[in-house]
Amino acid sequence: MIQQDIQVTNRLGIHARPAALITQTACGFTCDIRLAKDNITVDAKSIMGVMMLAAECGSSVHLITDGADEKEAAAALKKLFDDKFNEEF
Amino acid sequence: MLVLKGVAASPGIAIGPAISLPGETITVSRQYIAASEASSELQKILSAIKKTSEELDLCERKVQASLGTEYANLMSTHKLILQDPALKNSIVKKISKEFLSARSALSLTLQELAANFEKIEDPFFKERRSDIFDVGKRLLANLIGGKQEFFASIQNPSLLVAHDLFPSDTISLPENNIMGFCTDLGGKTSHTALLAQSLNIPAVVGLSSASKDVKNGDLLIVDGENGLLVINPDRYTLANYRKIQKELKKTESLLKTINHLPVITQDGHSVGLYVNYDPRTDTKENKRLVTDGLGLLRTEFLFMNTPQPPSEDLQHSLYLAVAKRFDMRPVTIRLADLGADKMPDFPLDEIDEDDNPFMGCRGVRLLLKNPDLLHTQLRAIIRTACEVPAQVRIMIPMVSSVEEVRHVRRAFEKTLKEFENENKKPVNKIALGAMIEVPAAAIALDGMINDLDFVSIGTNDLIQYLVAVDRVNPDVAHMYDPCHPAVGRTIHSIIQTTHQRGKLVTLCGEIAADSKMLPLLLGWHVDGLSVTPRMYLRVKNVIRNLNFETCSDLAQAALLMGSSEEIRNLIEQNQHEDS
Repeated sequence: MIQQDIQVTNRLGIHARPAALITQTACGFTCDIRLAKDNITVDAKSIMGVMMLAAECGSSVHLITDGADEKEAAAALKKLFDDKFNEEF
Repeated sequence: MLVLKGVAASPGIAIGPAISLPGETITVSRQYIAASEASSELQKILSAIKKTSEELDLCERKVQASLGTEYANLMSTHKLILQDPALKNSIVKKISKEFLSARSALSLTLQELAANFEKIEDPFFKERRSDIFDVGKRLLANLIGGKQEFFASIQNPSLLVAHDLFPSDTISLPENNIMGFCTDLGGKTSHTALLAQSLNIPAVVGLSSASKDVKNGDLLIVDGENGLLVINPDRYTLANYRKIQKELKKTESLLKTINHLPVITQDGHSVGLYVNYDPRTDTKENKRLVTDGLGLLRTEFLFMNTPQPPSEDLQHSLYLAVAKRFDMRPVTIRLADLGADKMPDFPLDEIDEDDNPFMGCRGVRLLLKNPDLLHTQLRAIIRTACEVPAQVRIMIPMVSSVEEVRHVRRAFEKTLKEFENENKKPVNKIALGAMIEVPAAAIALDGMINDLDFVSIGTNDLIQYLVAVDRVNPDVAHMYDPCHPAVGRTIHSIIQTTHQRGKLVTLCGEIAADSKMLPLLLGWHVDGLSVTPRMYLRVKNVIRNLNFETCSDLAQAALLMGSSEEIRNLIEQNQHEDS
């Protein structure tokens, strides 16, 4: 199991499109992937769950991956956040 | 005959029999099934999910082709919601463990999910529950069945009446014998309206009660020009509309032939004709328009539906794309006119609940109280002007005093200095002007004109403030009158004051595209007009058929008149003489 805190740095926070990207990426892995913020923990493979986090810019989320491809999954998701979800106009 | 007033969502006129979309509602009742029925109910919901998924795929491709990636992304969010294990697991559990019918299980699940979103405080995220309902209703429609069959069963060309329409339904209308539609919900910039425009079918939205007032088979006129729905018109009205419809079709094709011709009256007086540009609705057709430049870029949308103010980078990327699109022509960017009905989601300084928002803290007033917003926007605009040769013009909204202009100018010059310190300079000098829409600014314009590079008359608000009529209030809406003598005299005086200092005036608002008002506006010597892309060629055509000398005479006469009626008669008389 890998756990890490990730900062949300993109301007709009995890709105619909970043949520979609997170879910699409997460669904590409077999391991269990969870995101936690405040007292809510959600399944990263559920777009509604990810949107429920209402993670705004500047907040931090806790990423937990657990399973066969946990390393790759953790890296792939971290990259999404770091790239600010390729936010552009 | 019954006439309902809504919002003109897509231009054109369609006449034909009504056909109503059978309603699909999310029920609240718990419908139980026998344990033995569970597997067949499960089968039903699974095949509905599959069907919905196929529909969304198809829809995504169509949206991608007609509106581009930005909108297609919306559909992929919908697809992910549909595939969300949270949705499916909850439904399956409700059917197989609680023995609820598929329909109840779906309805309850949707309500539970939406309730979760209801708890979120951030209004931006809270809004996402509408996406869930969109997907849910579509799924429900497929579960109950019939929607596809309904569309397929339409044999004769008809007009669709619905409470609301999904973008995906809208896009399939033309191939289903639907020549036009009207809905109870929706606004001018809703996805459905934008799609209707790109599909070229007339539509009126926001009619509130149309789906109740119309019965199948009623004869309808969908007037997408004026935002009207006429139910069972009398013979005279019908004949009149058939005539208008014919003329519209004729002019549409004629209009395309004048695209490359100059905007000039028959006796050689030329007028600048600019376009109100919205990058979100830049259709193929709009891209083909040959214009004199961008007359009004509204920037409020950048500040709406976002938890934070837009960054300099984000604004710059938009302004740069726009400026490139208009090459070396004028590009007029209006500073964010926030406040009143356009209140952003992020917190602002010194903004409280307002009883009378249109008289409250909006436009430049709000910007001066939130200097960071102003500074960021100025930086983004100046940065753009340093990189491209467009004639960038900055317009200040809602100005009422010269002090406001000076405050903005100081902020502007300070920001210019910042760029100078980085050795950057605008390719062309940036002009700073004001939108004159507050009567006080119009009357005392001589006091502020020295501080302005140009003037733009915002007629929609100017008229509203002059006659003290809120156009949205049905009790007084009819008193909103562009022909009121005060309107003409004010416009004329603004133009005169500006010309005395050798500066130019453009005019925007609905009257800029009103063929009745154009002779007067030209006669008062307005230098330029800014109109929506869809009205552009029509206005050009009207101007090309006008005689400037006649317009001047008319305009002088109108200034001497004391009532709307006289002015209206004058205009109509003139139009009859022409034809």
